[in-house]
Amino acid sequence: MIDAYRRMMNIEQPPAPKAARGFFTDTSLCIGCKACEVACKQWNQLPADGFAMTGNSYDNTGHLGATTWRHVQFIEQAKANGSGQDQRWLMMSDVCKHCANAACLEACPTGALVRTEYGTVYVQQDICNGCGFCVPACPFGVIDRTPKTGHFEAGTAHKCTLCYDRLKDDMTPACAKSCPTASIQFGEIDELRANARRRLGELQARGESKARLYGMPDGQEAAEVGPLHAFFLLLDEPKTYNLPEVPRLPRKTMAERYGWSAAVGIGFALVGALVFGRRG
Amino acid sequence: MAEGYYDYPVVKRPVWTWEVPAYFWLGGMAAGAYVTASLAQNFGSADDRRVAGGGYYVAAAALVPCAPLLVADLGRPDRFHHMLRIFKPLSPMNLGAWTLTSFTPLAFARAASHAASTGLLRGPLGALARLVPTRLAELAGGVLGLTLAGYSGVLLAATNVPLWARSKLLGGLFMASALASGSAAVTLQAGRGGVPDATLHRLTTIESAASAGEMAILAGYLVQSGKTARPLTTGRFSAPFWLGAVGAGMLLPLLLHRVAGRRHGRALRSLSSAAALCTIAGSLALRWSIFEAGKVSSEDQAASFELSGGAGR
Repeated sequence: MIDAYRRMMNIEQPPAPKAARGFFTDTSLCIGCKACEVACKQWNQLPADGFAMTGNSYDNTGHLGATTWRHVQFIEQAKANGSGQDQRWLMMSDVCKHCANAACLEACPTGALVRTEYGTVYVQQDICNGCGFCVPACPFGVIDRTPKTGHFEAGTAHKCTLCYDRLKDDMTPACAKSCPTASIQFGEIDELRANARRRLGELQARGESKARLYGMPDGQEAAEVGPLHAFFLLLDEPKTYNLPEVPRLPRKTMAERYGWSAAVGIGFALVGALVFGRRG
Repeated sequence: MAEGYYDYPVVKRPVWTWEVPAYFWLGGMAAGAYVTASLAQNFGSADDRRVAGGGYYVAAAALVPCAPLLVADLGRPDRFHHMLRIFKPLSPMNLGAWTLTSFTPLAFARAASHAASTGLLRGPLGALARLVPTRLAELAGGVLGLTLAGYSGVLLAATNVPLWARSKLLGGLFMASALASGSAAVTLQAGRGGVPDATLHRLTTIESAASAGEMAILAGYLVQSGKTARPLTTGRFSAPFWLGAVGAGMLLPLLLHRVAGRRHGRALRSLSSAAALCTIAGSLALRWSIFEAGKVSSEDQAASFELSGGAGR
């Protein structure tokens, strides 16, 4: 009966789960070439951002957005703590984190946002109706909606797909493929995490005292959103890279907020019943 | 000097426009009117029950623009029905879509049933409307109405916008505002007809309780939000917030109700109607100013870091 319904409604079986894939972005290797930004735009056929200058170092991209899925930050530090240098440049290629507990996915009312067989988070463009709830739900400010008109795939939510189409053909995502320094590494999550731990040990041995991983299962940043499928090796505090210390998952606080709302409603009903019931 | 990456925001600015606060206002008012009418119908005297019918009409009328407003705000309005392709109450947006979809026909059915009972609705439609189980519609509609009035603040709070997410009380605040404006809408339509003074006094008592509760919750909301509330309490949105939502929407109606409590006849009618109009306008000012100030708050890097620093939970 259910099978007949599925056939009638053209409901496909979801693909069988595969080993989780992700990105390990080692910011200590990033040289700020922005090849990842360009490769991402080309493969995913995303429009250019225009030629506006931000005036903030060499970063004229500014933010991740509906049509910008890789963004290279240029952080200029005049007196870098602990590095032994007078001045240093931190570079970081930012991307959707593909959280294990994704706020965007939980917020989505249509089921357009799904978790793929690779453990990544993906927006189905034919389902999204552009309600916009995922946009402020994301604690990292990643996902955004394209303008309602004058745009390809207008009015729907967009973000990094972790090159779902390339993954289907056993290819490496465009950004990782184009990275000339292996700052962006793609692979199976378990392998990437082992690499990351080894690399962190190396850097700490060389005196990079503030180096740390961001998005590993044991990190405080994973407390609510879970481990990140796109995680990072940072050379300074997360805030330096505009990353929240403990990214919030809205679901965690929702019950309490509903509770207060319900208490007010029930209180009103009781007052109303009492006032109307007191016949004069 | 900013703590983070230049002074760039940590979270994205909400893309929603004016349709959203307008819908929250009207939907909340409709729900509040339905609940108030149902309370009068089930607990009130014969005189009290006379205001219930008008309350159901108000609820149905306020619901008419709600679904169109919600659809208009979508990036792809032609796909509005995708909201209903799954049932996912974990998402307040999905819960709200289902609640509006079920409450709207219920409220229309209850209003039609009243129209049939007064002879306004005749013929086959009237016969159909008389079949509506009124008690069941009042109970189910009351629950759905309270859900509709209560989910909107929780929806905004279920984001990472500091002004919306920091306090625990935004859901309760919007619920109180909805019930105050809904009961005010019932008073407003009751003030026109030949409703006895005792019933009007009872309605203004209920409105006062809702407004006083709203003020208490708002105070708690501002305390819990702390510095995060600055985009609301200072700057561009401070005038609509303090003068509109607090002054005209809460303080003035409470004052007018105090005066009206000792008056009768025409004076009572004018005072309670004026207070009701103020409450309804204030409810819109509250939703709109908190909604718009939230957009400013989303761009506040320091507030975002404070929210995600562990202290805001």
